[in-house]
Amino acid sequence: MGHYVVRRILQAIPLMVIVSIVLFALVNLAPGGPLAGRGQSRRLRPEQIAALKRQFGLDQPLYKRYIFWLVGNDWTKIDMDGDGIKESYGQGKGILRGDFGMSYRTRTPVINSIGGAFKNTAYLMSVTLLIVAIIAIPVGVISAVKQYSFFDIVVTTMSFMGQAIPEFWLGLILLLVFYVWLRNPMTGDSLLPVGGMYTLGTEFSIVDWAKHLILPVMMGVVGWVTWYSRFLRSSMLDVIHQDYVRTARAKGLSMNKVYFKHALRNALLPLVTVFALDLPYIFAGSLYVEIIFSWPGMGRLYYQAAIDRDYPVLMAVLTIGTMMVIASNLLADIVYAKLDPRIHYD
Amino acid sequence: MEKKSSWFTILVVIVLIGIISTGCAKATEVPQSTEEVQPTEVAQPTAVPEKSQIVVVIAEDPPSFNPAVGQTGFDSLVMELVMLALADVDEKGNAYPQIATELPTVDNGGVVIDEENGIMDVTWKLRQDIKWADGVPVTADDVVFTYDALVDPNFGYWVPGIDYVDGVEKIDDYTAVVHYNTIYPGYQTQFGGYLMSVWPAHYCVIDENQGFTNWDCGKQPLSNGPYILKEWVQNDHLTFVRNPDYYEAGKPAIDEVIVKIVPDEATRKLMLVEGDADLDMWTPENVIAELKDASNVEVSLSTVDRWVMRIFFNFAAKGTTDPVATPHPLFSDVRVRKAIQMAIDTQTISDEFWYGFAKPVWTEFFRPPYDKCDVPQPVFDPEGAKALLEEAGWIDQDGDGVRECHGCTTGAEEGYKMEMEFITYSEYGQTLDNTQEYLAEKLGELGMKLNISRVEGAVLWDTAANGGIEQSGNFDMDIWDDGYSGSDPTDFLWVYYYSEAGVPDVGQNYGRYVNPTVDELIDASYTLDEAARQEAFCQLASILAEDLPELILFTTVDANAHSTRLQGVQSNANEIVTWNVENWTLQTP
Repeated sequence: MGHYVVRRILQAIPLMVIVSIVLFALVNLAPGGPLAGRGQSRRLRPEQIAALKRQFGLDQPLYKRYIFWLVGNDWTKIDMDGDGIKESYGQGKGILRGDFGMSYRTRTPVINSIGGAFKNTAYLMSVTLLIVAIIAIPVGVISAVKQYSFFDIVVTTMSFMGQAIPEFWLGLILLLVFYVWLRNPMTGDSLLPVGGMYTLGTEFSIVDWAKHLILPVMMGVVGWVTWYSRFLRSSMLDVIHQDYVRTARAKGLSMNKVYFKHALRNALLPLVTVFALDLPYIFAGSLYVEIIFSWPGMGRLYYQAAIDRDYPVLMAVLTIGTMMVIASNLLADIVYAKLDPRIHYD
Repeated sequence: MEKKSSWFTILVVIVLIGIISTGCAKATEVPQSTEEVQPTEVAQPTAVPEKSQIVVVIAEDPPSFNPAVGQTGFDSLVMELVMLALADVDEKGNAYPQIATELPTVDNGGVVIDEENGIMDVTWKLRQDIKWADGVPVTADDVVFTYDALVDPNFGYWVPGIDYVDGVEKIDDYTAVVHYNTIYPGYQTQFGGYLMSVWPAHYCVIDENQGFTNWDCGKQPLSNGPYILKEWVQNDHLTFVRNPDYYEAGKPAIDEVIVKIVPDEATRKLMLVEGDADLDMWTPENVIAELKDASNVEVSLSTVDRWVMRIFFNFAAKGTTDPVATPHPLFSDVRVRKAIQMAIDTQTISDEFWYGFAKPVWTEFFRPPYDKCDVPQPVFDPEGAKALLEEAGWIDQDGDGVRECHGCTTGAEEGYKMEMEFITYSEYGQTLDNTQEYLAEKLGELGMKLNISRVEGAVLWDTAANGGIEQSGNFDMDIWDDGYSGSDPTDFLWVYYYSEAGVPDVGQNYGRYVNPTVDELIDASYTLDEAARQEAFCQLASILAEDLPELILFTTVDANAHSTRLQGVQSNANEIVTWNVENWTLQTP
């Protein structure tokens, strides 16, 4: 297994390079640019445009910009004041040395923005996924075991509804119900907070943080639960008609043991793959959830960077996202082998 | 079962990492406390029960406290909380002194004009009772430093009027002279307005790594204004506390201002109605209408409008920038532009799509003090428009509803269809989208086929070198809004109507309108002789009404919704809503 992991990691390196080149070209060549400004009244003179290009490194040809992004420019002299003389060394270290560059928008290191947003998104999405697992697994199993029962029909109907509801609309409805309509009978305040991660100006409190999680998690959970429960139902249906399940039943094992030990274990195998491939969402976040509930996460950061054409932030998010995809694929394979003794990679 | 447990263990570990790391984030994300550099700042004791606090909700995290660079509006909002300027602009567009003791004028000797050389010196006398939050007085050194930062070759920045400044000279600690190489009417807000403030020379740094565009003091500002930045959690909130040493005694009245980042417009409105926010910046027209019945919310409207919705005609063929060599096949004939003007009912647009908050205007000179020109309001006359198009040689002979060139004088080929792209920017929202569609429909009835297109601002206003639509002339007809802050339109007129401003990336004369008389009149308006300026502007108004390089349609309102308990809010189209934050008070229930 160890050799296999090392081999996969080595294989991932050229893949990362190729993907990063494609991403860099797409981001930099997309219509619009960071110097456009956002207000109509923003007036830049030609000299100013030239100065900003130098500051952002946009005065260099695309291939050089990629090299500088990759390995930095602190090893070569650049012309900062526009006099045609390369007088000082650059400041960038490049992503290979952990430097994602400076954000065009905030003029601060990209890593500062990414770090905070990543933590916030990972926190929200991991709780969301945990809740999804807690709900989707039993619902999927019971739906399969009690196929065409009243429970199954209700769950199936709700699943289709859950998948059909636009996420944005659901968020607003949740706000309307839990923030505007329903009141805490003791205090008269809104039952749940409108957004953010915690109540400003208060000491850290688990209860307060949990209350702020409820609505964003609910909004995220609905779509995912329907997806995973349907997937698991289908997987379980395949498994429970296998001979070994019939054998287990014939041995006189309790139904719980049959379904949750023998059948579920095998039914989860394809789900693990799907789940592992969904792991990058932990990083990417959900734009709608973060916008409606004012959650300072990766989705909003990326969206803002896209509007502003903040290339360094965009590239950082996309690169880390690519790494997550590659890593989660590897993780899926590893977990798959762990769960299924028949699978050997070496 | 053990395998399933490990699957769950992975999840639980991820959650725990998330919770632990995020729990720590609150402490680690806080930028360096301003208390380190502001020893005079005393944190408000939590025991004080009557601490007054307001929550301002805005859509985006400000990029910095330096709006001259970012120009997002959100940076202006926070700058006004902590930074002062030599002069600011009130809700009527008039400049008023902040750090300065008075506005320099010719009459009070603050402005000395050298008529022979066409230059002038402006002497700013500074108040002696304003200090930075670390106790250092605000002096002329700071004014000189701010100018030096602007013109720094590495990290300097262009702001209106800076080209006309040859230098800033310190006379004494509280007197600075700005030497202009021309007569510049906009001098009063050279170091002020909603984009500029005076920066602390002893705190901000200009070196090989940082300067005006990226300096650290733009993120951790040293205050001399009514509030001091206490905390900034990126993309979440900024907390400001009252500056106890603010120069106006007893102000500000409110102890703490929290600026909360709430991206969703509907959420911001709910927070306002539910009493969880006191101010929602930039309230759009539809929300103003929706808030009409909210008893705990008021909407402050600007008293003087600034933003003007306008149609830009391209005088040069799409994709070119020379209106003489390659005239536009439609808009190089003034009769076509005039016909479009006659076919647009701005009052209906205002009522139907802008909830009555748009006011029809038809000239750049609609606001004081230059609103005295006699420019008749265009008459809505679709039949007259049709006749004018016929006269111009645009006739629908094949009966497909779209006119063709039959004897037109624009250089278009015989049979050339009257079809064009009609662009706006997507960020504005539904009201402008609806307006664009309505205009396309109405002009369609006239026999013009308008193909609607919406693009991001980053694409529309990008540089010519990078393929920006406007700067490279790659459009037929656009609609969007702009206007000038303050009471001096001179720079604005130059940027939009001067022939040189049609050179790509030099100005915003996107239609490539060229009229030597207009150039002369704009040149003539660079004077402090008010009578001469008024005369020049009225002549300009007449010419622009005839030539129609742009179609001035209506003003949009600058509105900010606030709780009824928050008093003193006055929307200011020339500024940002926090322009007078020091005067805000909280009404006790």
